Amino acid sequence: MPLITTLPNPVKSNRVVQALALAALGCVWLLDLGVVQPNRIVSGTGYGLYASTGWLGTGAVISLLVVVFVLATRPAQKRFQVVAVVLTVALMTLPLLLEVLARRQLPEDSGYARIGVGAGFWSLAFLLALMLLETLGQLKASRRFQLSTVLLIVAGWWLCASREGLSSLALIREYSNRSDQFFQALTVHLSLSLGAVAISAMLAFALAVAMVKRERMRRPLLGLVSFMQTIPSLALFGLLIAPLGALSDAFPFLQTLGIRGIGWAPALLALIAYSLLPMVRNTYVALMEVPESVVDAGRGMGMNERQIFRQVKLPLALPVIIEGVRITTIQAIGLTAVAALIGAGGFGTFIFQGLGQAAMDLVLLGALPTVFLALAADAILSALKFQETSK
Amino acid sequence: MRVWLAPLVLIASLCLLAAWLPTMTPFFSWVEPGSDNLIYKRDSFLTLLQSHIWLVLVSAAIGTLVAVSAGIFVTRPFGREFLPLVSQIASIGQTVPPVAVLALAVPLMGFGEKPTLFALVLYGLLPILRNTLAGLNGINPAVLESAKGMGMSSVQVLLKVELPLAGRVILAGIRTSVTINIATAAIGSTIGARTLGDPVIAGLVNGNTAYVLQGAILIGLLALATDSLFEAVERTWARAFSA
Amino acid sequence: MIELKSVTRRFGDAVAVDDIDLTVETGEVCVLVGSSGCGKSTTLRMINRLLPRTSGEILVDGEDINKADPEALRLNMGYAIQSTGLFPHWTVARNIGVVPDLLKWPAGKRDERVDELLILLGLDPETDAIKYPHQLSGGQAQRVGVARALAGDPNILLMDEPFGALDAITRENLQQEMLRIQRQLNKTTVFVTHDIDEALKLATRIAVMDKGKIIQHDTPEEILRRPASAFVENLIGKGDRGLKLLALRSVGELMERYPQPRKREPNADGLKEADSLRFALSVMVWKNASRLPVNSEAGEEVGTVTREQLLQGGA
Repeated sequence: MPLITTLPNPVKSNRVVQALALAALGCVWLLDLGVVQPNRIVSGTGYGLYASTGWLGTGAVISLLVVVFVLATRPAQKRFQVVAVVLTVALMTLPLLLEVLARRQLPEDSGYARIGVGAGFWSLAFLLALMLLETLGQLKASRRFQLSTVLLIVAGWWLCASREGLSSLALIREYSNRSDQFFQALTVHLSLSLGAVAISAMLAFALAVAMVKRERMRRPLLGLVSFMQTIPSLALFGLLIAPLGALSDAFPFLQTLGIRGIGWAPALLALIAYSLLPMVRNTYVALMEVPESVVDAGRGMGMNERQIFRQVKLPLALPVIIEGVRITTIQAIGLTAVAALIGAGGFGTFIFQGLGQAAMDLVLLGALPTVFLALAADAILSALKFQETSK
Repeated sequence: MRVWLAPLVLIASLCLLAAWLPTMTPFFSWVEPGSDNLIYKRDSFLTLLQSHIWLVLVSAAIGTLVAVSAGIFVTRPFGREFLPLVSQIASIGQTVPPVAVLALAVPLMGFGEKPTLFALVLYGLLPILRNTLAGLNGINPAVLESAKGMGMSSVQVLLKVELPLAGRVILAGIRTSVTINIATAAIGSTIGARTLGDPVIAGLVNGNTAYVLQGAILIGLLALATDSLFEAVERTWARAFSA
Repeated sequence: MIELKSVTRRFGDAVAVDDIDLTVETGEVCVLVGSSGCGKSTTLRMINRLLPRTSGEILVDGEDINKADPEALRLNMGYAIQSTGLFPHWTVARNIGVVPDLLKWPAGKRDERVDELLILLGLDPETDAIKYPHQLSGGQAQRVGVARALAGDPNILLMDEPFGALDAITRENLQQEMLRIQRQLNKTTVFVTHDIDEALKLATRIAVMDKGKIIQHDTPEEILRRPASAFVENLIGKGDRGLKLLALRSVGELMERYPQPRKREPNADGLKEADSLRFALSVMVWKNASRLPVNSEAGEEVGTVTREQLLQGGA
């Protein structure tokens, strides 16, 4: 008999969606939706929801939130379906609010003037996303359904951003000023982080197999990789500069390969060092946790050790190994941004340039794609792991 | 008591090194030959160390307070509705790179210590929150059932049973959070916080490897000392509950 | 005394306990028996208000339990469960002392009580008291669970399959201890089990439950002799009903007692007064004996029992 009998939820309102809707109302009331800047450095004037979009936009946003609030008073399946559709459409078309702001408040004559995204817009988008997340959870939506919803919203934003009306958005201005650099940064960022993940995956696999075979190597190896994980990124990058610099001074041919104290070489080394711990640990645990009975059964059927490893242990360990790859990839994408400090390139370059010039939109141009890459990597690898687990 | 030896040695060497680095010019002239600026002088290393630790400490305290209370709230009957959303936020939030959180804090709050602290708190509370939830949800339901059946009130169950049992997992979360925050605080130098990242950034900007090295050594040592401190606390804790 | 009056419990649309009436007299052991999902645990958990009832009345000594503060109510009801629910971060002594602590007993009185209970349950106050639950065997952990339930000297004891997870030998031992302790303490006990043999052994009266209803509420002997329905008959097992009846009575009840206890012959086989008739019959069949001497606890021969007596008067 189950010890704790879960009670089926009595019919009452969904306070989560309601609380979020109230919070969203508060945010659009208190915070600036957008900022009109005369040029890229000056901070500009903020505009609230009403000042930005007039009664039409204000009415639309408030009635959206009120409708969602009211619909959430009874958690019926039908109502949540409506809420999910309403929220998805709202999120897809959200950038249009900024377009209205641009049309109403942007001075016509100034070529430098631009629209900055305000805290109100971000919080509204964030809270709407949380409401959608909760609603999809209540509907027990499948992974595939959730993913398609996200893709729909991304597509919506993409379409909005490519409209003429939003060309004055500061973020888009920054992007169109350096679209070449942007794609170069993307290439560098991806190749550095994915390269580090690939190399460390191979290394980690060898280490983990060695640890499984020779138990006494376990402690020193795990100790070493977790030691490296403990060292903060900035310190590790810094510590690698001197030895690599000395190395390339001593062997000039290394310089022709691009190996110097700063640049991609120390970045890649440090990224590999960081990637080892999660990768080694997960691979080792995954291989060790294959049930002994399954291995015995394989042996009993006449498989040799090699066949057992390939056909039994590896497939069973795969989901946990993929989880290691997921953690590592997310971490590497973030650390690559830091590596821009030692001249490795990537989106971090925009972040730190932007910070140096106090150009906030340049910071955003670096930070937002970094976040997006990390989230995308998370989504893809989680899906892969899920697929492996459910096989 | 042997577990406390490593952290003590590391902390002592961190403090000594912070005090004595300025006198180690011969070593740094070997690293950066032909330069007059061998030692980072804008702030003393001790000041930087102090303010670095202060930032991490304050953010850990606020983060723990907020995360543990939130974790308790969503595991009580009256807050359980919020549990799925909060645990999703905790796991999705950790996907966002800390440096991005730091960078995004600037447009909201400008430069300086404040946005750094904000980013540290925000990012640091996620691992604590996740571990609090894991700790509280991981308790054997039979234990809670019998605690209630004995006649404990819900506050007594929380304080005497749930929190002590979840304590180790929560502590591990705080450890993760502090480790991340020591690293993130160092990068906070780029947005104007005074931390041990300052010499590294200054060195990178001016091409002075000696500065970079000084900062990097101290940051690394700080991280190791903190980590071994947590290790010692965790071991002592584990020993206390399994004689 | 515990009285349940037309008590019903629903989970959503499902009815777990369906309009039951049950009275447990003071000092008796009422065993709720039935297959899993029959509502026996739900009934038990409504008595200490771990579950609210949907309708009906539950009275303890004439007072409706909903009028009392739930914590105060539970402090006066010992509660032991199958998975023990011992607090893993506390020693055995602190686990047993938890209710005395909640009742704010002085430390000295509490410690005395803990030692007393450790001895009562056959544990060592020196070595076992300082152990942590993970260092105990299953049987020891369950003893601690029972000790903890008794610690606050409650009037009522609620036990939910406390011996369900133990191996046969340990369970048998603990059942014996249970009987001994019950003779000593006379607690009003509600005991849940799915094991009819355990029920027959421990119960003053048995309530057989099925699909949320009480099918029959009677003494073990009556249940065996006159099962109310095919379900009860099935539960007690048709094949060995006679043996089960024999198991209910002790040799002491049936034997022919000597006027004077006699000196026991050395190495002679014999029964004890507390042995069940079933055991006596088994020994006789095995030894091919028609008569066996019966010895007292003190070791003197106090009577004899014959095969005829067993076959005629046993069941």
